[in-house]
Parts: sequence; C-alpha cells; structure tokens
Amino acid sequence: MRVPINWLREYVAIDVAVEELAAAINSSVAEVERIVRRGVVDRDGNLGLYRVGRVVEAGKHPNADRLQVCRVDVGEGEPRQIVCGAWNFGPGAAVAVALPGAVLPGGQRLERVTLRGATSEGMILSERELELGPDHAGILVLENAPEPGTPLADVLPLADDVLELETTPNRPDLLAVYGVAREVAALYGAELAPPPGHATPHTIAGDERVDVTVEDRDGCPRYVGRLFRQVRVGSSPPWLKARLVAAGMRPISNVVDVTNYVMHALGNPLHAFDVERLGGGRIVVRRARDGEELRTLDGTLRRLDPRDLVIADAERAVAIAGIMGGEDSEVSKETTDVLLEAANFEPVTILKSSERLGLRTDGSNRWEKGVDPYLAEQAATLATELIVELAGARWTGEVDVRGTLPERPVVRLRPERASTLVGLEIASGEQRERLERLGFDVGDDWTVVVPTWRARDVIREADLVEEIARFRLDDVPFTLPRRRSAGRLTAAQRLRRQVEDVLVGCGFTEAYTSSLVASDPSADAIRLPTPLTSDQAVLRTTLVPSVAAAARRNLEIGNEDVALFEIARVYHPSGGARPSERVHVAGVVEGGFARAKGAVETLFGALRIDARFERAQGPRIALTLGGSVRELEDCLGAFELNLGELLAWRPGVLRYEDVITFPAVKQDVAFVVDEEVPAGALVDAAREVAGPELRQMRAFDVYRGEQVGPGKKSVAFAVTFQSGERTLSDEDAARLRERIVSALRDRFGAVLRH
Amino acid sequence: MDRVAAVDVEALEREALDAITGAADLRELDEARVRFLGRKSELKTALRNIRDRETGMTLNALRDRLEAGVEERRRELEAAERERAAAGDTFDVTLPGQAIPRGHLHLITQIRREVEDVFLGLGYEVVDGDEVEDTWHLFDALNMPPQHITRSPLHTLYLNGDVVLRTETSASQIRVMESRPPPVYVVSPGRVYRRDTADATHSSMFHQIEGLAVDRGITLADLKGTLLHVARALFGEEREARFSTDFFPFTEPSVGMAISCFRCDGSGCPTCKQTGWIELLGSGLVDPNVLANVGYDPEEVSGFAFGLGLERAAMLRHGVPDIRMFLENDLRFLRQF
Ligand SMILES: [Zn+2]
Repeated sequence: MRVPINWLREYVAIDVAVEELAAAINSSVAEVERIVRRGVVDRDGNLGLYRVGRVVEAGKHPNADRLQVCRVDVGEGEPRQIVCGAWNFGPGAAVAVALPGAVLPGGQRLERVTLRGATSEGMILSERELELGPDHAGILVLENAPEPGTPLADVLPLADDVLELETTPNRPDLLAVYGVAREVAALYGAELAPPPGHATPHTIAGDERVDVTVEDRDGCPRYVGRLFRQVRVGSSPPWLKARLVAAGMRPISNVVDVTNYVMHALGNPLHAFDVERLGGGRIVVRRARDGEELRTLDGTLRRLDPRDLVIADAERAVAIAGIMGGEDSEVSKETTDVLLEAANFEPVTILKSSERLGLRTDGSNRWEKGVDPYLAEQAATLATELIVELAGARWTGEVDVRGTLPERPVVRLRPERASTLVGLEIASGEQRERLERLGFDVGDDWTVVVPTWRARDVIREADLVEEIARFRLDDVPFTLPRRRSAGRLTAAQRLRRQVEDVLVGCGFTEAYTSSLVASDPSADAIRLPTPLTSDQAVLRTTLVPSVAAAARRNLEIGNEDVALFEIARVYHPSGGARPSERVHVAGVVEGGFARAKGAVETLFGALRIDARFERAQGPRIALTLGGSVRELEDCLGAFELNLGELLAWRPGVLRYEDVITFPAVKQDVAFVVDEEVPAGALVDAAREVAGPELRQMRAFDVYRGEQVGPGKKSVAFAVTFQSGERTLSDEDAARLRERIVSALRDRFGAVLRH
Repeated sequence: MDRVAAVDVEALEREALDAITGAADLRELDEARVRFLGRKSELKTALRNIRDRETGMTLNALRDRLEAGVEERRRELEAAERERAAAGDTFDVTLPGQAIPRGHLHLITQIRREVEDVFLGLGYEVVDGDEVEDTWHLFDALNMPPQHITRSPLHTLYLNGDVVLRTETSASQIRVMESRPPPVYVVSPGRVYRRDTADATHSSMFHQIEGLAVDRGITLADLKGTLLHVARALFGEEREARFSTDFFPFTEPSVGMAISCFRCDGSGCPTCKQTGWIELLGSGLVDPNVLANVGYDPEEVSGFAFGLGLERAAMLRHGVPDIRMFLENDLRFLRQF
C-alpha cells in the first residue's frame, strides 16, 4: 500500500518529519518497507527554480521546423526566451517552467543551452517530466491562469514522499489513505477530517431505475449501483493524475481514474460499466455458469468455474466480481452513460476465485481481506462527486441492494486488565482516547462498540488490548517471567548431542538433506498425493541414500576426506492417522566398510554400549544394535542407526572396576580356522569359557597364505587376562588360555598357531 | 671388603660413572644404562645371586648411586638440548603439527544448540515435536480459520485431508499444553515444510525454533525481556531490540522484533537495508482462543510465544547469501563453520 504524504495530509494535519512518521507507523500500524521520494528534489533551493510562466509570444524557430521559440514571463519583469518542442499552447497559456540550474526529477541538471542558434533560458515542462502523469505529447497547460512567477510548488504537487506499507491481512482498512490517516490521527492525537466526499454530497438529478438483481446474497451482501448520463470521458486533471501516479497507479481516463482514486482513498474497490454495452441494460450478480467464458480487461479469455461470482448483464458475464472487469463493457472514450458499481463481496469467494484464476488485482487484494460493507455508500458518494465534477456527468439513478448488514460488535474492556497483560501501566483516560480516535465508541462502563471497518478483527477484549498496546510498544519495559522454572535436556536430547559430538570428533561433518525424496527402498514408504516436485514425492524411511548422494557430490567436486553424517527423522506407516517418526543417525565415509564400522565402534564405545555385529544377507553388510553397517557399490562405507534403540541400550550408572591394583597379563595368540568362521564367533566362544578374567580379546591381524593352507586363515588376537581380586600368575594365564584353545578347537577346529 | 661376590665394586662404580658422565647424548647415556644397569648387566646378575645381607646392601646401594647418576646426566643432557634449541638451531616450530581430522557440526545445529542453551539457562525445557501433524494441532487449535491462506494446498504439503507436513513448529505448543497443566516453559526446534519453490530466500524445508511460556501473570514486558536476552546471546551483548505491531492468528497482541544492526551498529548498511534495524522474528501473547482450545483458562493464565527461523538467523549472523546452501552439503561450505 502506497501512501503519498501530501494525500495523507489532506485527511490529517500533522507536521512531523517523514522519517519520524514512518518510524511511528512502523511501530504501531504497519511495516513501512521504504520511503520513496518523488518528483522535484526539495534541496538547496531547487524548488525555487520552478515557476509558473505566462507565454507572451510563441513562434516557429527560424532554423528548426519542430521547435517553437517562446518569450515567457516568469515574474522577473523581462520575459525569458525559451525554446520548446511542443505545440499544444500559444500566447497567454500558463505553463510550468524550470529555470537553468534546476535539478529535474530524473536527477538531470538543467543548463542554459543554445538550440540551433536560439538561446533557451529554461524549460517548459510536460507532466511526465514532473512525474505527475504519463503524458509527454505536449507540455502541461495550467488551469485557472495563476500569476506568472508564482512558485510552481504552490500550484502543483511537485515534491512528495510516499510511504510503502506492508499491511497485515487483518487490516483491510489500512489499504486506504483515509484508513492510514485515522491511525496517524490516533498516533499523534491529531484531528481527522471527515471522510472525503461527505462534506458536500451531491444530490441526485433524476429518478431513473437502476436494474440490479443480486441472485447470490452470500457472495454479494451489498450492491450500490449509480447511473450517470451525459458523461464526458476524457483525461483527468493534473492533481488526480499526480495522486494516482504517486500511489503507483496508471491514469487512464477520468471515469476509470475516479474508481481507482476512491478505492485508494477509502479502500472500497469500484467498477464502472458502459451502460450501452450491458445487455438489457441490467446487472445480475450470480455464480458463473458451467463453461462460461469472459475476456477480461487484460485481454485474456478466462474460463470460469461455477464457484466464481460474476457480474452479468441480461445474457452473459461482464466482470469477475471484485477481481477484474470484462473488456466488452469497459468504459471507453465513446462512453456517455456509466453504471458505477460500489458493492461488497464476501472475502472467501473472491480469494478462491483469485487463486483458481491465478489473478490478483488491487481489488481482489482488498476483497479477500474483508471490506467493510458500510463503506460502499461512502465510496459511491465520493465517486459521484468526482464523476459529476470531472466528467460533467448527471447522476440520474441509484439502487442499494442489500440484506441486513452486520451489527457492530460490542466488547467489554477492563482497562486494568490491559495494563496487566502489557506489563505497563496505561492510564484509563489514555486507553479511552486512543480507542475513540480509532473510531471505537467507549461507554462509561467500558462497553466498547467496534467500528464497522474493524468488525471482523476486533471481537474480544484481547483484540482491544492490542489496539491499546500497539501504540505504546516502545514504552513496555524489558522483564523476565517471575517464576523460577527448571529445565534440562531429556536423555534422548543428550544422546543426540553426544552422537553429534562423537561423530564430529571422528572427523565426520554434519549434513542436512531433504526428508522428501524421489523414491525410497521401502515399498511402504509414504507418498505425498500432490508433491511439489517429483524428486520430493516420498517421505523417506532411511537416510543413507540421501547422505550417500551428498557424499558423492562432494567427491565429484573434488572435496577430500569425505565423511558425512546426518541425524534426522524417518517415517513409517503406523496404522494410525499419522506415521511413526523415528530419529536415525546415518554416516557415509570414504574408506569402505572398515571406516564405517570403526566410526560405529567408536560411537558405541563412547555410549558404553556393548554391541555385536552379525553378517546379514548381501555383500559386506553387518547388522548391529539399532541398525547396520555396509559398504556401498562405490566402496563408500555407510551406517545407519536408530537413536531410539541406542537410548534403550545405554547402561545406567557405570560402576567402578579395579583395573589397576592387580597387573594384567597380555598375550598374543593366533588360531588357524576355516575361512567361513567369523572372528567374532571365536571371541564369543572364548568369553564363554574363560569368564570375566578374559578382560579383552581383540583380533588385530588376519593372515592367509601358504603357511596356513587353502581355505584357511590365521586370526591373531591380542588377549588380556586380568582379575580384580588377585595377581594372575603365569600358571593362571596358561590355564585360561588352554581353556580357550580347547574350546575353539572343539567348536571350530581351530588350531593354535605358534 | 671391597670385593663382594666376585664384583669389584669400586672398579665397577668408577667405570660405570665414567661412562655415564661421559655420555655425549641421550643415546649414549641409554647405552651406558643398559650396559651397567640392564637385565643382563654384571650388577643385575650379581644382585640375582646375592647370598648374604651385607652384600645385598652394598650392591643395592651401588645400584641406587648409578641410577642417580644416570638421572642426573639425563637432566643435564636434556637441559643442554633445550638450550641448543633455544639458541636457534633448525627446529621449525611453524611446521604444521600432526593432522588430527575433525568434523563440523552443521551451522543450523550450532545455532539450534545455542538457542536451546539460552533457554535451558532460563529454565525452559526442550521439546521435540513431530513433523507430520494433523490439521487440528497445526491449524484449528492455533486459531487459524478454515479459510486461512496457509491451509491451502498451494502453501502446505498434505498427506491427506487431515494430515500435513507441519508448516511451523507451533503445533508443538498445542501438544505440550494438551499434555500438562500450566505453567509451561518450553522451546521446540525442528524441521518445517512449505510448498515453496526454492530460491535464495525460500526453501520447501527449513528449521524453526518455537518458544512458549504460559503461567500466571505473563506479560508483553516478559516477552520483550526474554527475546532481548536471546537476541543478545545470538548477536552480541550490545544489541537493542525494537518491537512493532504484527499479525498472527495464534497471538494477540502480535509483535515483530527487530534488532539493532550488528554490522553497522545502526548507521545503515546493506544487511539492514540502510535502516539500522533487522527484522528477526514474530511473536506475541498467546491468543486466548489457543489457551481455551487446550483447556487452559485465559482468565487464570497468560503466555507468550515466538518462532525464530534458524536459517534466517544463520544467514543474518554469518552473511550466508543463499538458503539453499544449507541443504547442498558442500564440505567447502560446511567446513567454514
Ligand atoms: Zn546495518
């Protein structure tokens, strides 16, 4: 929403710097995205170089067919000679003149120049050069012939600042300059002018019937139609064009400009139809028929949906209600009779149609937020005044089709409650005044009647508290809640952090990959019915493919020491309404199975989980607690574990063991076994027979070759015997070792290698 | 009695001490130690064969003297070594040490932990909410009317008519409040999903952390104080906070928080779009409808809630130009942090 400051000041007389005003609005009303300075720069006396001039003489340039040489009185006594390229004026015309040295709106500095031998001591300006409108065909001829030498800024809005607001969806009333003015009045305790058009309302000059039928009252709670005859469609006066341009709209013709102007002033979008082009001269508000089509103002042929609300004539749709008019019934230069629509449309209908059609307009943007139905008449009044004045029209007929309009909400306010919730003592008198300036009626008993333009938004005491609080946000102190609460991480959260830290310590870097994938190895994985893209179609049940893909991309780029991990959720059908979500950790690392397993072993070690690894189906896959370790086809090592399962297997408090008092006996032993026998099985069997005095048995070498024969391997173990109660003698160690040797021989045919 | 069990104590001591004190470096010293005190040395052999107490005392005393001599010479040699190094020989301390590989936490994890820790310090709990939510917890209970724009399949990823990928972590608020009576002091971090086409500032998946405090007497001032504390923890102790009116269905009043720019300290720069202020997050007092929806009495308790985008915080603080970098997992990027 663009709010030109000059326009704003028409409704509320304030005298504050625009930066200060913007800061105040930003805090209490709506975000100010930026301040745009438009037109002639008001700096270093620049404005003083723009004057009203009167053309004294004008004649063809002796050396140039397309130029005029003029003598222009700019209030200096002696007229100046100015060369000009336009021909739409003659002696006597009042024109806008910039003198040499003036900085033009584009930033260019005007110099005294000689054009084909004729000196030009200034420039006669067009509206586009002043950023007051689009017209560049001729120069701007001023109405009412102001005195030569009058500062041009007194006659035209030369310089303006425009606030660009980003309003919130609950405040359609702020999509109007008058609505913003009301807030500014409340901010500064300033007087708000009565709504525009209401000072001297025009009276109707006829009693023509306006034929409007509203078939769909839900979609269109109100329809004010006004008929105008003898309309002279033409271009708008400079002040109107200037305002529209400043507000970001393009001037088109006086009638259309008036509808846009009123929309921007009051917030109620309007539409003007050429009555001649309405079949049967009538208006029917209804839903679109199946397959009905309409060519809209932008030239697009649109296929309508039976849920779309349309404005139709006797035969066909002539506008998509609240969104865009049709090309056929548009007001044109030839139009003489106009039907003005000041209606009210139901927000959801407009929102849905706008979404279906992919068409958002200044009108739909307002309707979808809920425009005050009481506003229609006010808007019609202002538009009538302007159409009559600017297009010389006669207002000859009116209809106001409406049901019961909503009552104004009534809310009780406890001023002390407002102060309590805000945490700042706000005097009840201040609360009352603020609300009243915003248009609320506050009774002696603090019964608050909400104005119609806030009726959708303010329906409870909390909403009133916001109305009071938002004007004092800077004054609210910074405090902390008084209660001392106690918080800590849960066991699962601490586990997650520990896993993150251990893996980082192992050289793994954390990756974040998408939960949504193109496909998943599990046939049960949940598919989105309407994914955003095909590669985000399935909720994954495993992390490894995504992390592996990230690892491969890194290898392709040429990054070294690739080791990635991710902790994220996976999703499985649960049988219930929502899937079950589990937190997994997955890692992918260069260096194959052994590196991946090493990381998992370090992780288990850090978590004090005693885990086993078992061969699973497929090459180089091991199952372990809560997941698996594997080698991928391209020799990347990978693992994935369910953190929930690890949590369940974590030991409680660790108990002290005496590993110091009595010395350990360390030996290396090697066994020759068949290839198929896993080292882990040997260790398990050894533990079983040797008991707790076998403190550690770790395979450190596997040998295959001539010395052990075909189909065999030799596995060397570092073995540690230790007791917590006594020193193990050489004989004790020998006895334990013999038990292991004979058990492995009996079970696996293992032969001790010397 | 100089001669003990065939060992000439004096001669042995003289010979050994000569070798020890004459050792020119640590290697020679160690050779001498092995020769005179090692397992196979004359002295050790004699010690193993001791028959009488007196001989034992003599030989043990000799061993002690020799060991003391070795220690003394070792200290002298080490001191000399250090002196030489200090005097500037060729030992290059600027060469890199032995590499010990280290991984990196993702920047978003680092920020998540920072925020969690700030709130743990304030006595909050951390709650992990589910990413797949039903429309009651994500929308209805949060006071979003049926026609609210976020509920449209144009904005939200639906699994079916009632089940969606959460668009905000706010649903965690509802789950926590449903599960226990007030007071509630929690933060809830996690992934959220939007039907947004990816560009420099949009991603269909990103991370938020939601905060909620509900208790007797919670005020807008408490919200301001708490969020200022967080902002300073994340962006520096000199930060100031500015609050402005905003709108969210689940808070009333709703306020946005901006912090004073940490790049330019308020004088204006591209980071703050020349305003001196940076919008950081949305927040507000919990809407009474939300409290009523979970069975809390809005007359008894009040609360505040906020939602902080972790990617946004990371991008602001570290100057990361494009949100998509957080999901690209390029190690060159990840290893910067
Ligand atoms: Zn800055």
